[in-house]
Amino acid sequence: MNFLQFSILAALPLALLPIIIHLINQNRHRTVNWAAMMFLLDAKKLTKGIARLRQILILSMRVLAVLAMVFAAARPLASGWLALGSGGKADTVIILLDRSASMEQQNLETGISKRSTALEKIADVLGKTARGSRIVLIESAGLEKTEISDPSDLLDLPTTTASDTAANIPDLLQAALDYIATDQSGRTDVWLASDLRSSDWQPGSGRWDTLRGAFSELEGVSFYLLNYPEVENDNLAVSVSNLVRRRGPEGMELIMDLDIVKQSSDKEAVTVPVELTVNGARTAETMTVNGGELRLQGHTISLGNSETKGWGRIDLPADGNNRDNTAFFVFDEAPVLKTVIVSDDPLTAGPIKAAAAAPVDSSRSYSSEIFPVSRQAEVPWDDTALLFWHAPVPKPGSPESGLLEQFVASGKSLVLLPPESVVGTDSSNDLMGLRWKPVNESADTGPFEIGWWRTDSGLLQNTRNGNPLPLGSTKIFQIREFEGETQAFLKLQDGRIVIAKHINKLPGNLYIWGTLPRSSHSSIASDGVAFFAMIHRALQLGGNYLSNAQLRDAGKGSLPAEQSWTPVSVRDGDEGSLNLELNAGAFRSEGKWLALNRPAGEDDLRILNDESLEDLFSGLDYRVIQDSINNRSSLAAEIWRVFLVAMALALIIEAALCLPQKVEEPVTAI
Amino acid sequence: MANSDSKVSDFLDPKVLGRLIGLPLDARHAMMGSVSGRHRSPVRGSSLEFAEYREYVPGDDTRRLDWRTWGRSDRYYIKEFEADTNLRLCLIVDTSGSMGYGEAGETRLDYTRSMAGTLAYLAAHQGDAIGIFPAGKDGLKDEIPARRGPVHLGVVMDRIAALAANGEADLVAAIHEAAEKIPQRALVVIISDLLFQPAPLKEALQHLRFRKHDVAMFHLLDRNEIEFDFDRPTKFVDLEGGPSLLADPTLIGKKYREAVANYLETVSDICAQTGTDYQKVTMDTPYDQTLAGFLLGRNPRTRKTAANTG
Repeated sequence: MNFLQFSILAALPLALLPIIIHLINQNRHRTVNWAAMMFLLDAKKLTKGIARLRQILILSMRVLAVLAMVFAAARPLASGWLALGSGGKADTVIILLDRSASMEQQNLETGISKRSTALEKIADVLGKTARGSRIVLIESAGLEKTEISDPSDLLDLPTTTASDTAANIPDLLQAALDYIATDQSGRTDVWLASDLRSSDWQPGSGRWDTLRGAFSELEGVSFYLLNYPEVENDNLAVSVSNLVRRRGPEGMELIMDLDIVKQSSDKEAVTVPVELTVNGARTAETMTVNGGELRLQGHTISLGNSETKGWGRIDLPADGNNRDNTAFFVFDEAPVLKTVIVSDDPLTAGPIKAAAAAPVDSSRSYSSEIFPVSRQAEVPWDDTALLFWHAPVPKPGSPESGLLEQFVASGKSLVLLPPESVVGTDSSNDLMGLRWKPVNESADTGPFEIGWWRTDSGLLQNTRNGNPLPLGSTKIFQIREFEGETQAFLKLQDGRIVIAKHINKLPGNLYIWGTLPRSSHSSIASDGVAFFAMIHRALQLGGNYLSNAQLRDAGKGSLPAEQSWTPVSVRDGDEGSLNLELNAGAFRSEGKWLALNRPAGEDDLRILNDESLEDLFSGLDYRVIQDSINNRSSLAAEIWRVFLVAMALALIIEAALCLPQKVEEPVTAI
Repeated sequence: MANSDSKVSDFLDPKVLGRLIGLPLDARHAMMGSVSGRHRSPVRGSSLEFAEYREYVPGDDTRRLDWRTWGRSDRYYIKEFEADTNLRLCLIVDTSGSMGYGEAGETRLDYTRSMAGTLAYLAAHQGDAIGIFPAGKDGLKDEIPARRGPVHLGVVMDRIAALAANGEADLVAAIHEAAEKIPQRALVVIISDLLFQPAPLKEALQHLRFRKHDVAMFHLLDRNEIEFDFDRPTKFVDLEGGPSLLADPTLIGKKYREAVANYLETVSDICAQTGTDYQKVTMDTPYDQTLAGFLLGRNPRTRKTAANTG
């Protein structure tokens, strides 16, 4: 329980007054010489139990009345969850706000989103309970820390507005942890408002163990998890991916994958009016979503001969979440998808070169080139979408290391292949924490069977029609193990990872293969299909950052800071946004085009369940508050009236117990 | 402990005596006095009050033959008349510590002295014998048998003045002892607060009645003892030396009053069953008023008038 006037609780000892007065009265008795002791003794014997009980009840009621009066004066706050709290005021309150696009799901009657509801309720409860505490806001879109003097300011801050970003809850908690550790925040309450989307919480991330351990070492940190897990039925979300401009038989055309997903368990067909805008020209058409999802792969939009570059958007009608009703895209001439292999081994580089040069899309140009390790300085870094590095990892701090990091940072794809190494040589060099393990000569030799590969995402994900890649018969003969924070894509039956992706925050992708495509190491290249798919998927991702027109996820750093970007088309209401990169839209800068959209994970409806949440916060002091956008009641209500009623009841009972007993007719009728 | 330094003038009020002197102290039953007096005797005597006819037996005084009856029936009858005798007033007074209850000068014992002294004076004034039997711890203590005469009255008054409320007293034992010691029919007046379990009292009163005594009981209680009018915790100190008791009257008042009511009913029943003239007296009633009521209640004329009018 919490109190607005906590200091008044210092008067609680007043509750002892009735007992003290009673004891004083007991000692202030008068003395009377009495003859009729026999009646007194009889009466006392008869009334011993009842009288004692009555006296205790009267005293209890008096104590209760005083207690209730003091509590009422202290202005208690409570709700179902808050009543469980330990009370007292925190020195610091940290608000972690999930600003992801999914938090914009709104109440259709009031138009108030989950984010706004959470902010209002947190502002309200902090206004009542955290006066005098330091209040710090950390929001998911930019991880900016904002100190707030008045909780009501939360509603007006530019850092609490809607965004089209994804949230990274481990990042948010890490930011809170850094703040607590740096600023010595004392007793801290951490409020975390989110919609519990698994894509934002990343419950499988290894960072949770670290965070949990770090928080459990801190004293006086309490978590309040303000959750809005409800999903709006009948909400439709649109997204665009794999957009390509090419020349068709009737002129220029755009090829794209268009997805319209109905976020509902109800899979009945629904007809949706879709508005398509290309360079300002609008057209409308009606589409039917069957089975909850409409996926148009290779959806074609004719541009005519005049439109060679520009922007476009696809809009759905307003519904429960307007943030997912628009998908922006931009288009320009497609760049050559160039692959570079740095290797001295022709048996390795040859299959890669051949696969990378083979066109997947006949409308685009592909090229691949092999550079010996000694000529690595000649690599055309800016024009390359995919780089295979079949050479020792350069020393950290060396120019080569810097170039590789910058390559990944610019959005391209880099694949590390196991270098030829002598047993016992130094393997301490790493690239962004990724390094090869020393070669062990006594290790078993293959062939090794493939045990598992990731089919839902990554280089080996299932094909568009849902079929898995044919990797079951692939054999691995030699494997070089590696270490670092990675997401596995391919594992042997013994659990060793063969292919993985390095986990980092850079826009590009850093892959590492533990085997080579040459026949002495594996049958990956000879099996063909998976090898080809992996190369072209990595190439496509890297190629996205070569084009003058790119589709990116909205988020911090999505608009390169070195250029000045002008919004060409943004959603209504986002025109005045101070942070363009956090909102979806089409942007232009010096001949380059950029379309920002919400990340695909925001359309993933999977919600963290209670057990998972319990696991993530096990060992920490936390309270879960399940709220809803339809719930307008305050998180903490003043309940002094309850105490006043309790006081009145106690006084009434006390008065009833103290009523003089009915006086009988005098026994002496003389 | 009540003071025992009273003088006769402290408890004997001439004004009260003047008011009550005209009221006779009558016995409800025949008395056996030693001299002629104003009370009916169980034996035949020479008063003017006709009693009965009886057949002549040899040895009877022929002067008492009723010649008119002989003339009518030709038989010899003796005409007998009631004998008038004096009365023995025996005062049994409780001197236990509880008799000292009350304000100084207005204690229960003071009230007792006034009543006993006044009754003794009234009895002596109409020629009756008076005796006093104070109840002590083990029975009677320093009792004075009933005798007549002004000198004896002075002795009785002095004994009354010397009464002291102190410690425990066994009134029941005193009554039994008095029943044995009082030789002939007498008017036995008991003055006490009766603050003890009343069951043994019945046997004691029956003992008196068995000895043909006319028994009257003045039961003295303070109104506060009956109504228990206290409003805050009070420490009650036992006047008879028992343990003190701290009690909250608001908690035990009801049960106390119930106990008193039961007790009074029991005492009243015992007196009714034993033919005792029971007088329940609250001490806020002036003693002359109490005595006037008592005397009038015993007077055959007023009793008859009351019965006729009632």
